[in-house]
Amino acid sequence: MQIPDVKQKWPNPINEVTIGATKEEGGTRSHTITVGGANSLPFLYFEGELPHPPVIALEVWDVAPKDWPEELAKYFSDVWDDAGKWAKKCVDEFGADLVCLRLQGCDPDGENKGSDEAAAAVKKVLESVSAPLIIFGCGSDEKDNEVFPACSQAAAGERCLLGSITEDNYKTLVALCKADRHKLIAESPVDINIAKQVNILATDIGLAPEDIVIYPTTGALGYGIEYVYSIMERGRIAGLSGDKMWAMPILGDIGKEVWKVKEAKALQKEVPEWGDHTQRGPLWEAITATVYLQAGSDILIMRHPKAVAETKKYIESLTG
Amino acid sequence: MKKDIAKVTFLPEGETIEVEKGVSLLEASTRAGVYVSSICGGDGICGKCRLIVKKGEVKTRPTTLLAREDIKRGYVLACQSEVVGDVEVEVPPESRIEGKILIDMDAQRFRALYAPMKEQVTFRYEPLVQKIYLELPPATLQDNISDHARLYREIRRHKKIENMQTGLKVIRGLPHILREAGWKVTTTLGVRGATTEVIQVEKGNTKDKNFAIAIDVGTSTVVAHLVNLNTSETIDAEATYNSQRVYGEEVTRRIIYAELKGADKLREVIVEDINNLISILVSRNNIRLNDIMGLVCVGNTAMIHFLLGLDPSRIRKEPYIPVCTYPPPIRAAEVGIKINPRGLLYSIPGIASWVGADITAGILATGIYQVEELCILIDIGTNGEIVIGNKEWMVCCSASAGPAFEGSGVKSGMRAGEGAIERLEITEQGKVRYTTIGGGRPRGICGSGLIDIMAQLFKAGFVDRAGRLRAGIDGRVREQDGEFEFLVVPASQTDGDDIVITQPDIENLLRAKAAIFAAVNILIKSLNIEFSDIKRVHIAGGFGNYLSKENAITLGLIPDIDREKIQFVGNTSILGAKMALLSRQAFDTCYKIAKRITYYDLITYPGYMDEFMSAKFLPHTNGNRFPSVTEMKKVEKGV
Repeated sequence: MQIPDVKQKWPNPINEVTIGATKEEGGTRSHTITVGGANSLPFLYFEGELPHPPVIALEVWDVAPKDWPEELAKYFSDVWDDAGKWAKKCVDEFGADLVCLRLQGCDPDGENKGSDEAAAAVKKVLESVSAPLIIFGCGSDEKDNEVFPACSQAAAGERCLLGSITEDNYKTLVALCKADRHKLIAESPVDINIAKQVNILATDIGLAPEDIVIYPTTGALGYGIEYVYSIMERGRIAGLSGDKMWAMPILGDIGKEVWKVKEAKALQKEVPEWGDHTQRGPLWEAITATVYLQAGSDILIMRHPKAVAETKKYIESLTG
Repeated sequence: MKKDIAKVTFLPEGETIEVEKGVSLLEASTRAGVYVSSICGGDGICGKCRLIVKKGEVKTRPTTLLAREDIKRGYVLACQSEVVGDVEVEVPPESRIEGKILIDMDAQRFRALYAPMKEQVTFRYEPLVQKIYLELPPATLQDNISDHARLYREIRRHKKIENMQTGLKVIRGLPHILREAGWKVTTTLGVRGATTEVIQVEKGNTKDKNFAIAIDVGTSTVVAHLVNLNTSETIDAEATYNSQRVYGEEVTRRIIYAELKGADKLREVIVEDINNLISILVSRNNIRLNDIMGLVCVGNTAMIHFLLGLDPSRIRKEPYIPVCTYPPPIRAAEVGIKINPRGLLYSIPGIASWVGADITAGILATGIYQVEELCILIDIGTNGEIVIGNKEWMVCCSASAGPAFEGSGVKSGMRAGEGAIERLEITEQGKVRYTTIGGGRPRGICGSGLIDIMAQLFKAGFVDRAGRLRAGIDGRVREQDGEFEFLVVPASQTDGDDIVITQPDIENLLRAKAAIFAAVNILIKSLNIEFSDIKRVHIAGGFGNYLSKENAITLGLIPDIDREKIQFVGNTSILGAKMALLSRQAFDTCYKIAKRITYYDLITYPGYMDEFMSAKFLPHTNGNRFPSVTEMKKVEKGV
């Protein structure tokens, strides 16, 4: 009996998005990173082209974190007073493909740093590492709109990935991205339609679809991961099937989610039956990461060096 | 030049305005800010803008809409009279009634919007209650049957009626009435299922006093039409917001209230609304309550439960069992409705807990149940209902849209009544052009106006595709209490405050349209058909007498299909109720329709939330569902 060929062909490849700009391109990065371009579901190399493997960004803050557990602190506490040194450690020691600078220090409920300080942090990171940069706001719409103009200007021409726009707040960042040649993260609350709607709103005011990375919100393992998984996968299938507003690379912001759940944080002495937390925490993050890779994520933002190493091994094993 | 100007004074206010000679009195009244009723907007065909000339003269065009006696008393039609010199006119009470809802029949007569149904739906004229004038042969020794049998015998001479019944009270009075009236009486007959009841026997000939009322008991709005059963004419109409609203905007909340506190309060409130409407209608038209012998009510299942005092609690709980969907005719007095004490209350049959008699009436009125081609009826109300089908099958579902399109829950929203902005255009420069019902100063915005505003704001670029107002254009978009709003008409030009549309209003309207479109879409998907398979789209709702198809499509409320197929049919609930009132055959057909409908429950559809979210965008998240709108926006962007 002949086995029928069940290979699936998709009509619409995912957009390629390049982050970072070299000297020739008007920036100062040593190399650029391109994601997307796939015309098949993740890792199905026998079905189609997947020119760019998923990449991992390590998270750096513009302020020393107060709530990071010891398991993370032990790797970063020596450098986390200085975003530049922190970024360098991530790239040099832990193999980060990109650095994700989160402007947590600007949080109005926290240190409430101003736009000058934020821009200084951006500059510092750009000077200390040559890897491409993601810049994530603190999450307060008003504050992000206030600090991003200076940050975007400080990184003009570097083709950073800025985040994030939402349905309620997209105009400032879109304008900045257009002016300073950056790329943009479009965030939506685990909803296949709203994800599209944000993209439509942004493209309606002139952003090219090729400048967008979708962030459909992520959850940690055990915290609604299957829900996010199905949204990501459905979105990717929609994009491959021809929906231009879903034909974009996907980002997963994982470290932030994983390192707030008790399964990753709790110490062994608190919950002995859960075992060694120095293994459990990184594993929790690594497994969360692999799930999102399977769902279609192209960029993962992570925290724990061991989890990063495991995830990289996993990617390599699948891309062969 | 001075001599070309004349003074017009409106009594009783004494409001005076100077206008150029040659201007119509209607125009003068608008400029003076004096409210004069007008439905046709000055075309001289509705006859509503009656004024009395007290002093001075006007040049009038001849009209057949005024009686000779009226003309002698100085009556003129404001729109047909030109100012030729200083003049004093009185606005009589009938021309100044405010808040009067538009009569569907008026819409039909004046704007010819509904024409279509007539060719399809014709029923034998046979009202549910009717009066027959009888001259009985006096009793003699030779013809010595009983009074009661004599009455039946005479009735049967006029009408072929097999089964009749009479109440004891009527029989008791019979010998006196017959003899005092010299055997000349008028009897009122009412259909009660398979039998006919002799409801009343009156002395002499009262045949011409034969009226009934059709009531649409809506979740948000209650509409009453007064019908002359002899001429089939709708004499007048009146509407009010349903006072049950204080117990919850949504049906479910009211049911919960009824469970906690008893359903009686809700019945009292709705009955009082109905009684108020009836008393306005009878007093305005000089009709005695006693001459109203029948009432047909239509409404969703919960509303009918409330009205009849039935326990509504199981409607909202699995397995969603109503007490009764085919309520028999009862005396209206039994529920507290004040018409003739022996008058009958008919209920149009419903279908299920969440598909009510309003849909039966809508199907009856649009004739979907008897045509070959596939039709869809979209009834846009607080509980939107959608029916797809033809003479072979019909499937329906309901969508909880909320009351936004009825003008409730929208800051400047109002019912479709006098002074409501019913159509509107916004230019890219932010200029607003609008028309009000009645042509007077605007008081608010009704459903059709809200659809226009949403579509026009989007078209002109004042809102983005998520419906968010864009700030800082031309002073029209402004911030008020931390929310953006669009100034539609400034207070200086209205009958009160600024008329605005706020960001929360827009969100309410978006939710309402998304609920309806999602339901339409799911029903179509579930039936495995395409929009293009549908040959006729009937849009129903109490919008007033106008609905822009183009704007409804731009908004994404109705599918983007060939405009020719789309038809706005107005309030089909009340129309169907009136058809039933005037034709027993139509009333019987309601039962056949109710039995044939299949109810599709959206709750069982897994992708409902997805459909809803994707419809909560202008016009839709999937632009290819609305190719003509996408095309239009592209053209405007210069792509």
